[in-house]
Amino acid sequence: MTQTCLTFRDLTLGYNSHPAIHHLDGTIRKGSLTAVVGANGSGKSTLMKGIVGVLKPMAGEVARAPGVRAAYLPQQSELDRSFPARVVDLVSLGLWPKRGMLGRYTSEDRAAVSQALMAVGLGGFEKRPIDTLSGGQLQRTLFARVLLQDADLILLDEPFNAVDAKTVGDLIALIKRWHGEERTIMVVVHDLDLVRQNFPETLLLARQPIAWGETRETLKPENLLRARRFHEAWEENAPWCEPDGHGHDHAHGHDHHGHDHDHDAGPRAA
Amino acid sequence: MDALYGLFIAPFADFGFMQRALFGSLMLSLGACPIGVFLMLRRMSLSGDAMAHAILPGAAAGFLFYGLEILPMTIGGLIAGIIVALGAGAVSRFTIQREDASMAAFYLISLAIGVLMVSIRGSSVDLMHVLFGTVLALNNEALTLIGGIVAVTLVSLAIFWRALVAECLDPLFLRSVSRMGSPVHFIFLGLVVLNLVGGFQALGTLLSVGLMMLPAAAARFWTVRVEPMCVLAVLIGFASCIAGLLLSYHASLPSGPAIILSAGVVYFASILFGTRGILRARIIHHRHRTA
Amino acid sequence: MLRSIRAALAMSVITLTAFGASSAFAAPLKVVASFTVIADFAKNVGGDRVDITTIVGPDGDAHVYEPSPADAVAMAKADIVLVNGLHFEGFLQRLVDASATKASIVTLTKGVTPIDFKPEFADADAAEGAGTGGGKTVTDPHAFQSIANAKIYVKNIAEAFCAADSDGCVSYQTNAAAYTKKLDALEGEVKAAIQSIPEAKRVVITSHDAFGYFEHEYGLTFLAPQGISTDSEPSAADVAKLVEQVKQDKAAAIFVENITNPRLIEQIASETGIKVGGTLYSDALSQPDGPGSTYIDMMHNNIRQIKGAILGS
Repeated sequence: MTQTCLTFRDLTLGYNSHPAIHHLDGTIRKGSLTAVVGANGSGKSTLMKGIVGVLKPMAGEVARAPGVRAAYLPQQSELDRSFPARVVDLVSLGLWPKRGMLGRYTSEDRAAVSQALMAVGLGGFEKRPIDTLSGGQLQRTLFARVLLQDADLILLDEPFNAVDAKTVGDLIALIKRWHGEERTIMVVVHDLDLVRQNFPETLLLARQPIAWGETRETLKPENLLRARRFHEAWEENAPWCEPDGHGHDHAHGHDHHGHDHDHDAGPRAA
Repeated sequence: MDALYGLFIAPFADFGFMQRALFGSLMLSLGACPIGVFLMLRRMSLSGDAMAHAILPGAAAGFLFYGLEILPMTIGGLIAGIIVALGAGAVSRFTIQREDASMAAFYLISLAIGVLMVSIRGSSVDLMHVLFGTVLALNNEALTLIGGIVAVTLVSLAIFWRALVAECLDPLFLRSVSRMGSPVHFIFLGLVVLNLVGGFQALGTLLSVGLMMLPAAAARFWTVRVEPMCVLAVLIGFASCIAGLLLSYHASLPSGPAIILSAGVVYFASILFGTRGILRARIIHHRHRTA
Repeated sequence: MLRSIRAALAMSVITLTAFGASSAFAAPLKVVASFTVIADFAKNVGGDRVDITTIVGPDGDAHVYEPSPADAVAMAKADIVLVNGLHFEGFLQRLVDASATKASIVTLTKGVTPIDFKPEFADADAAEGAGTGGGKTVTDPHAFQSIANAKIYVKNIAEAFCAADSDGCVSYQTNAAAYTKKLDALEGEVKAAIQSIPEAKRVVITSHDAFGYFEHEYGLTFLAPQGISTDSEPSAADVAKLVEQVKQDKAAAIFVENITNPRLIEQIASETGIKVGGTLYSDALSQPDGPGSTYIDMMHNNIRQIKGAILGS
């Protein structure tokens, strides 16, 4: 009996009353490994933020199964790189779910930090100030923090940006290890070949979900074509979207959502 | 030996007011310097000056109701300061505006309200002159006030340290794992106001703001971690207080500026000679390792 | 015979009535006094025959006073203007020029032997009177702090009134004599009060620079707080010097109000055991409901405050 980790109900997320994600329904199975792909501005980061709770939905909801802890690696972190911290300080933040604000760090915790750094290939980097790290090294440090968080749901937003090929390989191996540990993982990726090789499921977004399911199916050429045609810009004069029976009763379906929100026909409720 | 005694110990041994001045200023350093480190790291270094102006309407209200009494004016100033700090903090946190702009807006509005209140009363009494003390005139009340503020500050820092660092270092991450982000932000602002207003009342604006910011600014050049930075800032604060008071005694300089200028000397020395200062970083060419 | 008596009676009635009428209808003398002490003297000498306007009011500071248009109007309408002289009124020349008054300006310190400021007070006075555009004033203008000089002021006022209004001269002289008697009694009280203070303790510290004549006349020593009286922030050396001074000169009391940092004085007082005294009136009288609203009250208040602070009663 497959358990659900996340449930999206008519989820609409956006900024300034313009939606970046429009009426998303569906579920994410526990233990699944899903790639989230789409063109720029298609709502991928927005979706991540909505799932982790940083962004409140404009309509609908995203529900997490009870007791699911999430770890989030943002695309553009608000990290203050000029703050006087070392790598170990940054990674140790990942102990927060376990130790909270007041808990003392034990020697096991410190060992776990070192192991996490080794796993991302930054063994020995503990005492380095963070303003001396390269982009890729910083990315890997944040990865180590995610590792340390020991979360059930892992959300990675474009983790392979500015990272060299070898590191990509290391990080993919890490992701697969997590997958083996039955954690639920969603990763925003641009490189479709990478997706085809490593990710069993894919969600293709173009503000609406275009296709969602098994990777090869989802990334069919006609789906990709439809995704490319979506309307990225905000329409200042677009009509208001009224909630009138948009009851998309889709369980986690393997077919694409063919409803009347096609982008080459129908109202431009954007 | 005698000369050393006469130079360093005698001024404090012989005069009660010197002992109190030393005690009070050392105590304030203990609480204010770590706060100053965080202010500096959050790019809010100018909020001390802003706060000195922002408390005017509170002091004016105290004056309107109770006359030229220290306690109501201080409490009024504290309330005004809290409102300004929390208001500016809330705006910067929940809107697109950043902290420097929101603080500027709030303190200017507050100052204008204060000036209005004073002019309605029609008095030309210099309220602020009455409100701001001097380090050479610390009576028991002032010492108790400083002591209380330092105690509250140190305890709060001990409890909220990790959250405060996380909030400065990676606020988005903190938001994703905890709800402590906002409360910690506001608690920190409250500590800032407490240290500043209490410092104004006991020691005057220059000394209070200067002791908060200069040692912190100097400590930046010596270490790469926050904890040692705070400790170092406190030590620099201590040294400045002692040096400043001795200068004030032996060279007849006004006490507040003497303490601040001592801190200033340390600051310039840190820029030049600090571990992360100019000479080490830019000018002196080191040997380098093979890897 | 009866007719001539009746005629004489009628004449005397007419004459007396004319006299009475003339005194009843004579307008009061318009007097402008530069500050409250002079106004008080003038009131005592002139009684109902004078109408007094004071320029620098109660608690005012004649050194830094800026005259208003109303002052110029009063000046212009005045018959006599009474001033202290000795550079006490910094604003006087400007006001005289602005009002183009035809009144006679009477300097009441005529006949007074002036003394100089003690050096430590000279600086304070120069700072206060900086707006007068002169060099450092060295002569102390507060001659009225000596009661002997006050009697000279009163004599000068009576003479000036007599010159302006000869009809009332008799009453002016009578009033002046009565008031001078009161001043004599006051002088006796002041001297007795000082006698009751042990000689070693007749030292007080105050930032008021006005008591030079009092010191000269009655033997009470006034010292300036070194370095503390101005607006600028004191140094630790200044405070230490003051503490030393208190201990050395064995000052018995300290008076604070002019000093901008009362807490500093309290600190010094608690460290040296010296007592902090109340309010002394030096350059002006107090408000009408205050303790020093007339000259005699002012002197009473001052001596009482000083004696009280020193003896701790």
